[in-house]
Amino acid sequence: MYLPVSRRRFLAQSGQFALGASAAGSILAACGGSQSSGGSGKPSGTVKMWIGQDDAKRRQYIKTHDIDAFNKTHPDITMDVSFKPIDGIDRLIQVALPAGNGPDLVPTPGPSYALQYITANLLLDIDKYAQQYNWKSKFFPWALDAGRVNGKLYSLPTSYETMLIYYNSTLFQQKGWKPPTNRSEFEALAEECMGQGIVPFMAGSADWRPATEWFVTVFFNNYAGPEAVYQALTGKLPWTDPVFVDAITLMNNYFQKGWFGGGVKQYFTNKFDPQDAAFAQGKAAMDMEGTWAFSNWPSFFGPPHSNTDYNWMPVPPLRDGLPNPIYPLGIGGTISISASSKVADAAAEYLDWYYSTPKRMTQEMADMDFEALPIYVKASDFPSNINPRLRDHYLSINDATSKGVFGYTTWTFWPPKSDVWTYQGMDKVLTGNITPAQYCAQLDSIFKKELQQGVVPPIPKGSI
Amino acid sequence: MPLEQVTSSVSSSSRGALTQERTPARRARRQSLQRRRGLIAWAFMLPFLAVSAFVVLGPSLSSFYYSLTDWTGLGAAHFIGLANFQQLLADADFHKAILFNLFWMAWFLTIPMALGLFGAFLLSQIKRFQMFFRAAYFVPYIIASVVNAAIWEQILDPQQGLAFELDKIGIHWLDKVFFFGDQHLALPSVAFVDSWHFWGFLLIFFLAAMQSVDKDLYEAARVDGANRWRQFWHVTLPGILPVFGILVLLVTVWSLITFEYPYIITQGGPAGATQILTVLLYQDAFANNEAGYAAAMGITISIIAIAITLVYQYLQRRGVEI
Repeated sequence: MYLPVSRRRFLAQSGQFALGASAAGSILAACGGSQSSGGSGKPSGTVKMWIGQDDAKRRQYIKTHDIDAFNKTHPDITMDVSFKPIDGIDRLIQVALPAGNGPDLVPTPGPSYALQYITANLLLDIDKYAQQYNWKSKFFPWALDAGRVNGKLYSLPTSYETMLIYYNSTLFQQKGWKPPTNRSEFEALAEECMGQGIVPFMAGSADWRPATEWFVTVFFNNYAGPEAVYQALTGKLPWTDPVFVDAITLMNNYFQKGWFGGGVKQYFTNKFDPQDAAFAQGKAAMDMEGTWAFSNWPSFFGPPHSNTDYNWMPVPPLRDGLPNPIYPLGIGGTISISASSKVADAAAEYLDWYYSTPKRMTQEMADMDFEALPIYVKASDFPSNINPRLRDHYLSINDATSKGVFGYTTWTFWPPKSDVWTYQGMDKVLTGNITPAQYCAQLDSIFKKELQQGVVPPIPKGSI
Repeated sequence: MPLEQVTSSVSSSSRGALTQERTPARRARRQSLQRRRGLIAWAFMLPFLAVSAFVVLGPSLSSFYYSLTDWTGLGAAHFIGLANFQQLLADADFHKAILFNLFWMAWFLTIPMALGLFGAFLLSQIKRFQMFFRAAYFVPYIIASVVNAAIWEQILDPQQGLAFELDKIGIHWLDKVFFFGDQHLALPSVAFVDSWHFWGFLLIFFLAAMQSVDKDLYEAARVDGANRWRQFWHVTLPGILPVFGILVLLVTVWSLITFEYPYIITQGGPAGATQILTVLLYQDAFANNEAGYAAAMGITISIIAIAITLVYQYLQRRGVEI
């Protein structure tokens, strides 16, 4: 419970951005001295990074491609990397940073988590580096803006993601099903699945309780709509508005029908791996999950695991008048420079190198299934061995967001307590302990307090 | 009681001998020796006291301080008096968590205690293979809780555990039973897993206590025609009462601070159905960034535990045999 980022998401994220979702340097190393540029012009020194990564293969890959590659080309700067357990790195940062023992490059699971460090004056305003390295030309505007607090830039996003539907394409082909494009097709397909004894959506929160917020994100964005969500996140519309209550009511109805995981009790019992296997075996037709799930499927689809294949589709709008597709944007992690860093210039130099090499990033996506950085890439930047579905997915998001059409994920744009309520409260709705109206009223109450406290992350505006 | 008479006569004669020896010189030497022994004892204890002060007293005092602030876990803490404690009084989640802990306490004071007591009594009756059974029952206690939890999650998983295997042979009793996913079953299910890990610990304590009960008493009871049950009730139970009392106290206090199994297995879910005090505290401290409020909760739990201990000590001093 209560870990700020899903293990699933983290597995996918923590590679990309070798700083990845996290960055470097051990606590002990932090006690040692480092050099700064000293104002001589060329940045130098040892930059400590902590990276949350458990997988030995990924650790080695990151070290080779994101650390050693930089160190070789930048003799004045040494990137000193230290890998930490994925589940524990946030706690380590929370303890080490205020004590002055944290890394120079500070990873967090998202802008709302970076905000706690910013309000405690633990992170550096990196606007001067943004101007120096012209980061505006490298990042998507929405992604760069998500790191701004009171107009100042404090963090850079280390990945971006959205919610989508994966489907068992072999099963769809056998049954003659088509990806739904609106609510009536969506519901008809779910009914059809149920009628044939197939669970429409594999789902479960036993491994990760906050998984419920994935669905809340979808129903807020794809039923209430991105504009309504934007209005609510900026305090112009209360969460008690009927459009949000209806969104939650609809989600609850679908769960009560057993469309997600087979039923509410099953949903709370289901674990990821058996569910993934059931999906690949055709016992479940679809999976409503985030971009990170792309990295799971090679372990379940195709020989030797199964003779089935998968594909993806955007979640259709669940109410008339909404754009299609809607991609709720999520930032899976951020990276900042510690306010107490003595090698800030060198750290910024590394950041710039990291974000200025799109082909290296796409190669990492191909090699290790890492999520993408929110930087401009073209179709030609992707290597030939990339998973074409992953490539198309990102190009599709980029296309939609460049037109200003995007939604908002709860784990990125909701302030911390409101975010916790999105899934804890929704679980209570699913079990019948509270009503959708009570859920929204409580969300509104928590959100208003956090809005007043100034802990709501910056909300980028779309052009819907 | 013959044993008591012997003890009494020995102590009387000792007192008499000592009285005769109490000359001023001897008394002074004796006092000096006692002082030196006391100093040596203190010298040995001081390092441990210092470490305890560092790792227990320091954080305790800082927790108390933070419980009076609005500290988020980062940055400055502002003094807000007793506001956190007032908030606790009105916090429905906190009230619910207390009820869950009371359930937990009632469960552990009955089921594992009864199992441990009964198992120890049975084991005390056998000679062959006793060591094997003792080890077998104690093993779950020394297995890491994460491993224990994983084993039971697997066994009780409806898709691949016991229900699945029973299903194969045509038994469908557990088909729709979701032990950790049903909000009405989750807490007893988690308590059951923890009990399985814990009852062997109780058994070993009870067994050790039973083995120290004077065998002559059993012999006397048998001569008087007492059956096994009456032996247990009139000889064993009174004989192990001090150990029983200590275990009741420990289980009561541990029930307030239990954390690992509800956290590992259900993470407080589903829908808060296993959100006991410590899980709620953890969530407030690390997910909601309300470290000050969490500290207030921790202080409150400590006060309850101290109160229970004081009541226990008070009863002991009043001569209640526990």
